[in-house]
Amino acid sequence: MSLLAPERPITNPFLPYLATVKGVTQLTPDIKLFNLELDDPEVREGFDYRPGQFAFVSAFGVGEAPFGLVSLPHWKAGVEFALRRVGTVTRALHDLEPGAKVGVRGPYGNYFPLEDYRGKNILIIGGGIGMAPLRPVIRTILERRPDYGDLTIINGARSPQDLVFADEFDSWATAPRTRLELTVDRGDDNWSGQVALIPSVVQELKPSPANAVAILCGPPIMIKFTLARLKELCFADAQIVTTLEAKMKCGMGRCMRCNIGDKFVCADGPVFTFEQISHLLEPF
Amino acid sequence: MSQLISRSDLTAWINALLAEYTVIAPTKVDSLALYQPVKRADDIFMDFGITALSPKEWLFPPTETLFTITTQDGTMKLEAPPLDGKNLIFAIRPCDARGFRLLDKVFLAPPADTHYAQRRQNTTLIGLACSKALPQCFCTSVGGAPNDASDVDVLLTEVEEGYLVNIVTEKGQAAVAQAKLIEKDVTPPSPPNLKPVSTEGIVEATLRAYNDDYWERLADRCTHCNVCAFVCPACYCFDVRDHINQGKTERLRCWDSCQAPGFTRVAGGYTPRPTKGARLRQRFGHKLLYYPQQYGDLLCVGCGRCIASCPVNIDIREVMEDLQKLGVKSVSARA
Ligand code: SF4
Ligand code: SF4
Repeated sequence: MSLLAPERPITNPFLPYLATVKGVTQLTPDIKLFNLELDDPEVREGFDYRPGQFAFVSAFGVGEAPFGLVSLPHWKAGVEFALRRVGTVTRALHDLEPGAKVGVRGPYGNYFPLEDYRGKNILIIGGGIGMAPLRPVIRTILERRPDYGDLTIINGARSPQDLVFADEFDSWATAPRTRLELTVDRGDDNWSGQVALIPSVVQELKPSPANAVAILCGPPIMIKFTLARLKELCFADAQIVTTLEAKMKCGMGRCMRCNIGDKFVCADGPVFTFEQISHLLEPF
Repeated sequence: MSQLISRSDLTAWINALLAEYTVIAPTKVDSLALYQPVKRADDIFMDFGITALSPKEWLFPPTETLFTITTQDGTMKLEAPPLDGKNLIFAIRPCDARGFRLLDKVFLAPPADTHYAQRRQNTTLIGLACSKALPQCFCTSVGGAPNDASDVDVLLTEVEEGYLVNIVTEKGQAAVAQAKLIEKDVTPPSPPNLKPVSTEGIVEATLRAYNDDYWERLADRCTHCNVCAFVCPACYCFDVRDHINQGKTERLRCWDSCQAPGFTRVAGGYTPRPTKGARLRQRFGHKLLYYPQQYGDLLCVGCGRCIASCPVNIDIREVMEDLQKLGVKSVSARA
């Protein structure tokens, strides 16, 4: 009966923290980076999260939706989300200016086990907006560079304008034992880099599976073909990690929208190895 | 010795309860029996068999305000509505009460759902044992019984002299404080007999039949009307959405159904469960496989409402039987 009679009033798990839009940066024609400051100083101080976790962002009057956190808490410089203008909530958020009020509810979900990856070579593959949740992974590794082996980043997008976090590329590429491969499906007059699909870049590069972890994130079609190339290179399913997306309404394993068979993207994920994914009952 | 209340004292007791509680009881609304708040004992329709909707809505309403959003002098405020009223559900069937046990596991697990938890805490359940079974009833096959007192605060059983009163919990004790009970030696009637449905190995059978084309065949006639989810005392899929009405912004939670085509559609249009078969597999998969794996019980109390309400006669008892047969077939085919 203790669950029914809480000693202190329990807090409503649907109540978001109020936050203020501090900065909006146009990353690509349809993706904006939002920097949010949680209004309550105590909440701001205690808001802890890890790369891979997500939170719900509210556009009050329109609704809320889950998005990956793309900043790191110890930066103490606000909570960041990269949002592609694609649905009703993201459209409403894209219309907001600095100073606007939004809601943040979270963090939820598991995270990339970066502690366990220490000493390993890391291969990061991101396609389009899929690169966004990988940014805090890259930044964590760069901040603790000696803890990790070689870092290879493959970042691809439809066109040069669609590459996210372009202003960070220099600092990534010049870090020790770090290689950044940028690629686009279609170049333009200013593009001197690769024009190739991500799976071909992987095939060309032939990363070694020895003591390595591959983290991939992107559209399903990219995942499918990249996964095939990695397997040809003898990467085992357990060495390949991704983060899944699903429609969600609660983040607490209750609304029954994000379950894939008996696993919940919100509570068991969103980070899964392909070994775990191979046991999922339904397609994702 | 049993405790007994006469029919006239029952009326007096209910009228006394009305001073302290919002009494929600079976009433007749046109041709339907529904649990509704009543103003006096006479409003109660005791010969209801089973109500069209379960009383689930009184703990988990079809639409409820999670919080309101107001801005005053440039300051935004989020406020949850107070839910401190005392409710009493009168004449709840043992199967419907068991439905709350199943919802408890979901909504009271940390972080507890404040809305459900507060209503649950403030609601007293006065059960009414079933004296007859309907053709669609199968509670005894899924862990319940027509006279099961385990999920109510008080269980009433109709006898010739009135009602036997079995006080189960402290909440129940408080509710009967004003009832005129008499001690009498009455043998409780034996509960009605129900036709058993086999649930043996159903979790494993559902898993074995997971990729069978059975689901598409079964779903072929489903109209995705969602009725099965809305009448069910154990279903709890929900939607969370914002609503602006006359300048008032609210975040609402509403019942939803996994049978709705857009239920899993993400922004941009991708739908992980695009077919009726995939969605019907979600319904039965949740009831017979995922929930049991997570919480240990089948997500069904055998009330039979979905069976009686489905316009195309999709019957969970037949589904369980089919799954068991399919499981055996695929096992022997492999051997
Ligand atoms: S009640 Fe029957 S027709 Fe309607 S959604 Fe449920 S299974 Fe389909
Ligand atoms: S019989 Fe149907 S409506 Fe009743 S609890 Fe089971 S699934 Fe729900």
